[in-house]
Amino acid sequence: MKKLLKYISPLAPDDSGACAVLYELGGVVVICDAGGCTGNICGFDEPRWHEKKSALFSAGLRDMDAILGRDKRLIEKLGAACRQLSALHPRFTVVIGTPVPAVIATDLHAVRRMAEKETGLPCLALDTDGTAYYDTGAEKAYLALFETFAKEACPVRKGRLGVLGATPLDLGLTRADRLTAALRAEGWDEVICMGLDSGIDEITAAASCEHLLAISPAGLKAAEYLSAKFGTPFTAGCPLLPAETVQAAAALNGKRVLIIHQQFAANALREKLAGCTCDCATWFQFHRKYAQEGDFRITGEDILREKAAQYDVIIADRDLMRMLPDYKGGRIDFPHYAVSARLL
Amino acid sequence: MNNAYYITASELAARGFADLPEELTQAKHLIYSSPATLDFNSPGAKGFGVKRAGLCVPGSVMLLVAPGCCGRNTALLNELGYHERFYYLLLDDTDIVTGRHLKKIPEACAEICESMGENPSAIMICVTCVDALLGTDMERVCRSCEEKTGVPAVPAYMYALTREKRIPPMGLTRKSVYSLLKKQKRHADECNLLGFFAAMDSENEIYPLLKHAGLNAVREIGRCGTFDDYAAMSRANFNLVLNPEARYAAQDLYERLGIPFIELTRVYRPEKIRNQYRLLGQAIGKTLDDTRYYAEAVQAVEAFRKDFAGLSVAVGECLNADSFELALSLTEFGMHVAEIYGTVGERNFVYLKKLAAVSPETRIYSNLSPTMLGYERDCDIRAAIGNDAMYYHRDLPGVGFNDEAQTFGYRGVTLLLSQLAKAIREGRQIAEAGK
Repeated sequence: MKKLLKYISPLAPDDSGACAVLYELGGVVVICDAGGCTGNICGFDEPRWHEKKSALFSAGLRDMDAILGRDKRLIEKLGAACRQLSALHPRFTVVIGTPVPAVIATDLHAVRRMAEKETGLPCLALDTDGTAYYDTGAEKAYLALFETFAKEACPVRKGRLGVLGATPLDLGLTRADRLTAALRAEGWDEVICMGLDSGIDEITAAASCEHLLAISPAGLKAAEYLSAKFGTPFTAGCPLLPAETVQAAAALNGKRVLIIHQQFAANALREKLAGCTCDCATWFQFHRKYAQEGDFRITGEDILREKAAQYDVIIADRDLMRMLPDYKGGRIDFPHYAVSARLL
Repeated sequence: MNNAYYITASELAARGFADLPEELTQAKHLIYSSPATLDFNSPGAKGFGVKRAGLCVPGSVMLLVAPGCCGRNTALLNELGYHERFYYLLLDDTDIVTGRHLKKIPEACAEICESMGENPSAIMICVTCVDALLGTDMERVCRSCEEKTGVPAVPAYMYALTREKRIPPMGLTRKSVYSLLKKQKRHADECNLLGFFAAMDSENEIYPLLKHAGLNAVREIGRCGTFDDYAAMSRANFNLVLNPEARYAAQDLYERLGIPFIELTRVYRPEKIRNQYRLLGQAIGKTLDDTRYYAEAVQAVEAFRKDFAGLSVAVGECLNADSFELALSLTEFGMHVAEIYGTVGERNFVYLKKLAAVSPETRIYSNLSPTMLGYERDCDIRAAIGNDAMYYHRDLPGVGFNDEAQTFGYRGVTLLLSQLAKAIREGRQIAEAGK
């Protein structure tokens, strides 16, 4: 069965991706759930939870809240939290969808309007539902942020690079310093990783970037949006790869290799391999524009189990290798936090 | 500056249980799942949540039927060796609205059995908020799975939405875990301990006390290595319920198999423990001679009092105790409980009122209040008890006292005080060395 996982655990979902983008931006973020989704996000998908405080809460929904559609109660709780946390000067609020509002068809636009009226702060309401992958949720969060806050054009600052898609789920890092250092080494004077070691002011001033870089497909739509709105050019590519993976991969020669990761990271690693026939595959967003012939999207465990035999070496997060207990070829670990929740 | 909401024990007692402040009432505020409370707040998270608990039946596997987000953190359990026992049927956005996934569950079970080579003892089918809202008849789904595979299928309800209902998810899970027991001849010299998923601390006095009372087999699910061991639990003459969340399971076993149950409460005051054992003895028609264990506990209390009387501590709720009963006990042992991070309920409000009489200034916080984001220590605290209290006071000596091997009775008292004394002494040594 396509949707039956017999070997691996579920991969990072869309609500985790949305939270990852919003985590450091200074808003009051409410996950519209009963507690379990928040536990998954804070206890597993958000490594910053243990080192950087954030006003990220569960709505604490109960069955009657859902059955009776008591949105007003949620808004009252959100308003109370904003008042209690006034010392933190929250700049906006967010309501993040989960399976519960999806099942009961919560009108998230109405929730957004009610929240704005209650708190006087801008509100983003994201229709994530826990069934899609993290990159879809992150994409929604980026777009909503820029549509809401990056409204004004401002003078372009030469040498300023805006990075999109840089969250712990893609990078396996909780701080931006290694990524910014890598990009400074490429000649950029100022590197802003939107949502990682930066705040809402950097989102508001997105138009000041000379260039945008989407390091994962999660940031692609936002890059396209900003490009269309402000004329900022953008490129797609992942400049920071795990050194051990690169070293092991670069030593391959004359092999048929399969690389599994998010599409831009897999592409970036492929560029490091000389003398190999190399295909890239991903469980996550797959854009034909950035793919080569032979690349494919993994839609189930069986797909990968069928294709694996075609390759001499598979480069993938080690947790994914559980799917291939009988695979005889070479294996190189390519950690991906959205798969195994391992930090680099 | 401490911006977290608190109320003193005396103020809270004066208001009464019917007038709890909103900040202490979970249903009335957003929930802050701080690192202090993650495993406490999310029923599927660490420790024995629904997912891991459901797999206590030896030889069983679990099929989680849910959107991917619900099973994400199950990977944590892989580190404990569970990865070969978990399977996932992922729901998409159409499934969660139409319920069309229900027809796929028997087929998924069949595929799991085929892939395993040999059949599991049971398939626990774990469902989440989605099926709670769809009103799925899981008993019927499980019957279909059993017909398709020939393997018993049992529902495990990970319904976070119903956490404050009369029977919370962990109560339902306990019922599910024991639901495969079949009626057989009961034996007068056998009993079960219900309430915990891991085996209790082996040094606990309850084992020799029951043995001396003529109970030659004391079973608990955490010690069942095989399905046969598990099946033997229905031979018991009675069940001892050591955790109120197991009461529903015990009632079910009484109704289905005719096994009566006796409920004991985990308390930390030696006199209260002694009284419970006396009543237990009366109930089973035996005398439980706890003289030695009582004396050890009293001695431990006196030794602790001698060394640490007046010590100011913080007590959390992520620990193997009721926060308020433990705070009351510690106060009676001569300590000063400066702060409690706990959930006030009707049952433990009794302890709160007694605490207010002997320690009126003790501050009561709710771990889950959004205001805890602004918590800072602003009073004298020298040690922390409970994983959550240790999170707030990472610079202080402390004990988590949250082991999976649960404790009970006198052993709980001696274990807690010995661990706490050791932590405090080590903390003092480190502080001295740093001077």
